[in-house]
Amino acid sequence: MTRLLDLGIDHIHNIIMDMAKLSENSVFTAIESYQNGVHIKKQIFDWSEKLRISQEEVSDLSVELIARYQPVASDLRFIKSCMEISYGFSRFGRYSYDIADVLETMGAIADCDKSAVLETSKIVREMITISLQALQSRNKNAVEKLYQMDDIVDAQYRKYFRDIIESSQEQQENSVPSKYNNNPRCYISALLILRYLERISDHACYIGDSVHYIVTGVSSPRR
Amino acid sequence: MYIDKAYVSIIKNRYGLTIDEAIHDCLLKMESSKKDNNHDQGSYKISIRNLNVWFGTKQILKNINLDIKPNAATAIIGPSGCGKTTLIRCLNRMHEMTPGAAAKGCVLIDHRDIYYKTVDPVIIKRRIGMVFQKPNPFPTMSVFDNVAAGLKLNGVKDKRLIKDIVEESLKDAALWDEVKHELDKPGIGLSGGQQQRLCIARALAMQPEILLMDEPTSALDPIASSKIEELIHGLKKDLTIITVTHNMLQAARVADFTAFMYMGELIEYGSTNQIFKNPQKELTERYISGKFG
Repeated sequence: MTRLLDLGIDHIHNIIMDMAKLSENSVFTAIESYQNGVHIKKQIFDWSEKLRISQEEVSDLSVELIARYQPVASDLRFIKSCMEISYGFSRFGRYSYDIADVLETMGAIADCDKSAVLETSKIVREMITISLQALQSRNKNAVEKLYQMDDIVDAQYRKYFRDIIESSQEQQENSVPSKYNNNPRCYISALLILRYLERISDHACYIGDSVHYIVTGVSSPRR
Repeated sequence: MYIDKAYVSIIKNRYGLTIDEAIHDCLLKMESSKKDNNHDQGSYKISIRNLNVWFGTKQILKNINLDIKPNAATAIIGPSGCGKTTLIRCLNRMHEMTPGAAAKGCVLIDHRDIYYKTVDPVIIKRRIGMVFQKPNPFPTMSVFDNVAAGLKLNGVKDKRLIKDIVEESLKDAALWDEVKHELDKPGIGLSGGQQQRLCIARALAMQPEILLMDEPTSALDPIASSKIEELIHGLKKDLTIITVTHNMLQAARVADFTAFMYMGELIEYGSTNQIFKNPQKELTERYISGKFG
């Protein structure tokens, strides 16, 4: 016999799965737009808005289920985690919009060296895929791999940041021209996008944490 | 101060002894039972060890092992007929008053097995108060006399002492302000919630260390129930409370620890937070989530 609570839980589950697909699509499309120089800010803004509205819907529905049915145990853990996961997906949407906005704001960056961003984005895309698969299959062990990949993304972002500063210092001290001087738009846009990718990778880890919590009832040790 | 006077007075009147003889007798009993009946139970107030209980040939409880912490509320939950009430009736030796009832195993309270041969069951019942599902104030007695009944039956005659204990007990039961001007009125004239608090005051008057509550709010409306729950929350600072309840959410609200029973067995026991957030046994998860049946 279906419990009344199950109807609500199924509804939340469906919203989360829809958000998962849309947020993955948003991030992948934003990265491709940077790579190919295609301006699709409006489209990504619409997706980001849709994700934000869905996040509010999950939040409202979760509170209603808690108030009406007082769920416990795995039901309660699932509902709590869905509130966190939906927030993560809404952030995916927001950062996708920010990446698309960089392209519009910076203007001509078609000739920039995008290798650093593309290398990092490849890892982040895989992290998103792993986190969504973990959510669908309730794989509590995925979080370990996600954090390993997050460490790589963090290192790449910090390295790029450091390189810019060191290059600039060397120019000041030794009058050696900085490779980043030619076109500030290139390194500023790359730095911003790397920053957004770093945050997306953090949220992918948080989704893995939530899956771990749903399954085991224990918060991820990394936290 | 009150417990010493009342307790010695009870022993004195029960056995017809002088005050000095009564005190000496208490000390002797404690010493003799210490030697043969001294068990290690850590810091727990009550420890149940391998408890098996029968009504006739039907086994009701199967190998129960449970440790109850002091100054905390412990809830026992489970479906009807799982043995919750039988378990708590074993803690104050009420179970053996039922014809055909038998129990094997031991129940330790403060390192002493209450089923040991030298232990007086009346003294056990004095140390352990009990409140039942249906409020049962003595119908022919006033509010005052209801609370004082236990003291008088145990031979306490000091009127000032009785008056002080009655007032203190009614205050502890959060009933004093509602009845202080009507202590002579009949106890059954109170509302259902007030009657239940009167029964709690009656139990508290005997200064128990442990309070057993068998579905104390199931016959009450939600507002009266919430007053009892607040009372439990306040009393557990000084008492060890064990409550049987069908209302799982009540257990979640009032209890520090929860024990889940099913078909005479203890399935899982732990902090209420852990039981209701992350139960370890699938049967517990199914029961508290309402997936039974």
